[in-house]
Amino acid sequence: MEVCSLPLSATQRGKLISAGYTSLSSLSSASASDLARDLKISDGEALEILHVASRSSRSDNAEGSHAIINGAQNAWDMLHEESSLTRITTSSADLDNILGGGISCKEVTEIGGVPGIGKTQLGIQLAVNVQIPPHCGGLGGRAIYIDTEGSFMVERALQVAEACIEDMSEYSRFLRKDLQTFQVGLQSKDILENIYYFRVCSYTEQIALVNYLDKFITEHRDVKIVIIDSITFHFRQDFDDLALRTRVLSGMALKLMKVAKNFSLAVVLLNQVTTKHTEGSFQLGLALGDSWSHSCTNRVILYWNGNERCAYIDKSPSLRSASAPYSVTSRGIRNSTSNYKRVKMM
Amino acid sequence: MTPENLLHHPFPSQKCTLGCPILDRCLSGGVPCNSITEIVAESGSGKTQLCLQLSLCAQLPVSLGGLSASALYFHTEFSFPFRRLNQLSHCFQSLYPQVFISDAVNSSKNGNCNPCDNIYVQSVHSADQLLDMMPKIESFLANSKTHFPVRLIVIDSVAALFRSEFGNTTSDLWRRSSLFFKISGKLKVLAKRYNLAVVVTNQVVDFVGSGEGVNGVRIGNLGSLCSSGRRVCPALGLAWASCVNSRLFLARDENGLVDGDESSFPYWQTTRRLHIIFAPHLPYSSCELVIRREGVFGIDR
Repeated sequence: MEVCSLPLSATQRGKLISAGYTSLSSLSSASASDLARDLKISDGEALEILHVASRSSRSDNAEGSHAIINGAQNAWDMLHEESSLTRITTSSADLDNILGGGISCKEVTEIGGVPGIGKTQLGIQLAVNVQIPPHCGGLGGRAIYIDTEGSFMVERALQVAEACIEDMSEYSRFLRKDLQTFQVGLQSKDILENIYYFRVCSYTEQIALVNYLDKFITEHRDVKIVIIDSITFHFRQDFDDLALRTRVLSGMALKLMKVAKNFSLAVVLLNQVTTKHTEGSFQLGLALGDSWSHSCTNRVILYWNGNERCAYIDKSPSLRSASAPYSVTSRGIRNSTSNYKRVKMM
Repeated sequence: MTPENLLHHPFPSQKCTLGCPILDRCLSGGVPCNSITEIVAESGSGKTQLCLQLSLCAQLPVSLGGLSASALYFHTEFSFPFRRLNQLSHCFQSLYPQVFISDAVNSSKNGNCNPCDNIYVQSVHSADQLLDMMPKIESFLANSKTHFPVRLIVIDSVAALFRSEFGNTTSDLWRRSSLFFKISGKLKVLAKRYNLAVVVTNQVVDFVGSGEGVNGVRIGNLGSLCSSGRRVCPALGLAWASCVNSRLFLARDENGLVDGDESSFPYWQTTRRLHIIFAPHLPYSSCELVIRREGVFGIDR
């Protein structure tokens, strides 16, 4: 449908066409402020034009299934879609339980904890687990691992991948109930090949990479998880202007959320902890400040409870706050089988 | 740099041997390249010994677990232990005759046969000085016309740089932790670009109070660190702990006087243990070690 057929004044029509808005679909993606700028008219007038355009297009599609503003979805559809989305398991059933089945796609999850608690281990585990093929209950996707600290160790990823393959073949043998060795059809080499690894050495590189993610994932549609280990490191240096840091960070968070939504993939951000000095006492909290805590849909905090590692859901719109123990073994993240290993070692 | 250039498949990281198979087994091959490894210990536990030995071992060929590289050694605390290095290097030469005899043949031409020649020593007295030196270090790494490329940087100790200059006020602490991140950020960039192993040493502070760690924050595998019968924790706090990739702890305990055999006098026996506090590629483990004239060696028990 052409702009000429809209019930508008001739001057407005002329302005629209000379600014390049010839079809209704070109108007559908324009915002009022864009239009006002391009046509050099007031915001109100631009809004009026958009109203007219949307009304006439609605009457055009009598069934009303196609709104001019794309992207709106009703909650029922979303619920349906959500139930069909699989989650990425952490390989620890207890941890999966409190996460509602694993790390959810389409959402940004932040995981924080003290050094040595297992953030990187969890990151590596997720990068491997996202590749579990659908017939074993996984997503069969690929992973992007953005390393800002240099803690990603290939030898460790290989260990975790090999353990994961063993577990999968065990699982499928159990499922098929035949004792023949079943080939999962996945080798540890493939698993490592399916992790796109980026080493980022400064915050400018980090921002550039986050901006580039959109394009990269468009070319690699099977990427199902983006892990940033850690989101914090470069933002704790070279920033004297904290207001600027907040702006840059929230811009990056928005981009990540958009990527998560558009490609229905999981974004996992690992964060460091810091002590906050308030009224003479020190309190532990995740780094990057209060405004950053709005940037993530879910927030999981890892902490020590005696000799046991625990995870705690600090913030989530759909999960209740709960905590569960887990352990880091040579095979990766597993359920905590209370002090079987550490005690033996001492 | 475009993001496309960043994309590559990860390579297995190279390790630099510590010069002892038992210690190497504990660390699964040695100190990893492209990573910052911190050694925490109270004074007299053998941090410097380990660092000296490491900078000698870096010169070993890759077939023997080394990096066939030279080392850059920053010392901050007291004068550099030249005599001890010389002693170690003599033992080192006799330990690996195959390397140094063939080397001596080559070096008769360029006059270079002493392993000490491949260790570059520089003193640093403040954190700001270290930060200012970074561009210089980089140009040294890039343009060095040395026999071996530099693949190891040792900072012994990083704690001394920070412990004198900064007070306990909020603004000082803020300035201090931003320096931590700047320095470690720069070191990591260098480590990545030149595939360096970076080793820093850190001191301990006595731990007062109950519970776990300072302000109830437990870092790493061990609930509490004990050395010389006291509870200690690494200096420089939580912010610095977030800056290093792996942290090792050397514990030392006096066992009291032990009677020597007929020929020798009673002596103080010390047991030392190396613990892995955290590392991205290693589980918790520990290993007993001794310091001899020839260097630092692990004991299998």
